Amino acid sequence: MAERASDRLLRMLGMITYLDRHAGVPVEQVAEQFGVTPAQVIDDVDTLWMTGTPGYFPHDLIDFDAASYEAGVVRLTESRGMTRPLRLGTREAVALVAALRAMEEALGPRLEPARAAVLSSALAKLTAATGEAAATIDVRLAVDGAPEVVEALSAALRDGRRLRLRYVNAADVASTRDVDPIRLVTDDERSYLLAWCLRADDERLFRVDRILRADVLGEAAQPHRVRADAEVFRPDPSGGLVTLHLTSQGRWVAENVPVEAVRNHDDGTFEVDLRIANRAFLRHLLLQAADDILEVRPADAAADVSAVARAALDAYGPLAD
Amino acid sequence: MPDQIHPAERLLNLVIALVNTSARMTKEQIRRSVAGYADAPSDDAFERMFERDKDTLRDLGIPVLTVTGAGHGDDIGYRIDQEAYALPPVDLTAAELGVLSLASEFWQDKSVRSDTERALTKLRAVGDAPEASDLVAGLAPRVRAAGGAFGPLLDAVHARQAVRFTYRAASTGEVRERVVEPWKLLARRGGWFLVGHDRDRDAPRSFRLSRIEGKVRTVGSPGAFPEPDAARLGSALHSWTAGEERIATLAIRPERAEALRVRAVRTPATTPDDVDLDDPRVAAVLTERDVVRIPFTALWDLAEEIVGYGDAVVVLAPAPLRATVLRLLRTAAALVTRGADHG
Repeated sequence: MAERASDRLLRMLGMITYLDRHAGVPVEQVAEQFGVTPAQVIDDVDTLWMTGTPGYFPHDLIDFDAASYEAGVVRLTESRGMTRPLRLGTREAVALVAALRAMEEALGPRLEPARAAVLSSALAKLTAATGEAAATIDVRLAVDGAPEVVEALSAALRDGRRLRLRYVNAADVASTRDVDPIRLVTDDERSYLLAWCLRADDERLFRVDRILRADVLGEAAQPHRVRADAEVFRPDPSGGLVTLHLTSQGRWVAENVPVEAVRNHDDGTFEVDLRIANRAFLRHLLLQAADDILEVRPADAAADVSAVARAALDAYGPLAD
Repeated sequence: MPDQIHPAERLLNLVIALVNTSARMTKEQIRRSVAGYADAPSDDAFERMFERDKDTLRDLGIPVLTVTGAGHGDDIGYRIDQEAYALPPVDLTAAELGVLSLASEFWQDKSVRSDTERALTKLRAVGDAPEASDLVAGLAPRVRAAGGAFGPLLDAVHARQAVRFTYRAASTGEVRERVVEPWKLLARRGGWFLVGHDRDRDAPRSFRLSRIEGKVRTVGSPGAFPEPDAARLGSALHSWTAGEERIATLAIRPERAEALRVRAVRTPATTPDDVDLDDPRVAAVLTERDVVRIPFTALWDLAEEIVGYGDAVVVLAPAPLRATVLRLLRTAAALVTRGADHG
């Protein structure tokens, strides 16, 4: 897709500012600075060279040192006064500041001091430069897991080392496995470790609150190819279809569980279709949502969860009264 | 030379011209002298081109000022005041730029992401060196997509302008128009929320963004209500603040619920709820079970977690937690008959 003219304009203005502050920068470094290819930088510089104030005589134009440009180094010699960096718009500033605040609050206490300090200084400089202190957006990230587990995960990711995990799955079965960590994903709902599981020889998402223990091993983690959206939880398409008919209070089910379809009824109730490959997952969901469920199809799923609930009630004995 | 000048080049020429003009440029001067505008085949085409370019520049944070001439009312000119749109002095290290880049990726919504990417381009211009990512290696903090309502609501919060939207209330299932003075947007476990003053109810309310149906529209003019004072905002946000930490006492089957056990405290940080382990009724439940104490703040979250373990976990205390779990279990036990009623 062609780049939007506005994005290109912004980058070209940014380049003038940047090149005014750095005398003679190799094309490759300008490319890295702005996250584009060297060919794009050359395109941009060639365009900048032709722009300027009306008249467009040589002295009106943005100018570069031609000799050093031949040698692959961009040296700005005339800026036409365009060197001031651009202020951030309200939305731009608010979104970045809110992200940094959430990151500092959630990750700061769990990072080693040097990394935490960078987070704080970036937030302080951005807040000062934008005057954005109103905090109209407030994001709280869910930081799960025991501190020593999170520490081991961060250390392994930082140093590129393999991990041995003691992990308990949704069916409450614990196992030990060696993994090559890829990313520690922290969102507003949970924290996950995306890793390559050597036993499964595939990528896996591990809920950090279910990692009982994590040991950093001596071996280096190997690089692995993962799907771009590997951290998005997707139901197994081979799973059986289960339909829940829910009261309006059960709306959270549709919002927090990956559902295939939602059908709203006129009386305010609604139905959701779920793909279920994991019986333990469905059982837990039905127990949590019990208050809001009007009907479960197929009926054997309801029978299963009812039996589990009765066994649990029995376990309370006299305490159930 | 290509026949057509690239729009980005035309925009750049316009900015440079309007920054460098001694006082102002009229539309006619712009059309005649700024490279790129001569391409416009007609008066109308020029007008559209110029209006669109002004909008683009405003979106980027470079407002084109309108300057009226001293003599005649219809003698309008334009200029750009560079000082007014300049970023205050700031220098960013490579590591700080790396953190800012991670912050930009925090957002999943396309529209917000394009805002943060623009911000990043502006900040890269004042960065010492390309961003360093080793400090944030492997970390991926992010917030769920907020959806189409987010942008208009955020603008309205900042403009202090009321909004109107159709809302599906989960408590009743009712779908109705709401008029709200928006104060703040929150992301918490469970979703995105708008907190504001509901004009019809004349009280503070929270709205889940995923339950807003259709478009959010502004009502009335900007600056229509004062910023909420700390007390009002505080009381509206009260239900979002975490409760005090308490201790739950659980009886767990051997080798089960290890994800709960890892959170166990040996010496409870606060006084645990009274549970008399010698009470014969309690003793009966404890056969073949370990007593585990774990701290918690949100009772409902813990109850939902515990109920998933079925008969492996029994709540001894506190009583409200036990009651919540028992109620969920009783409803679930009756599920099998409920299906039959509807069938």
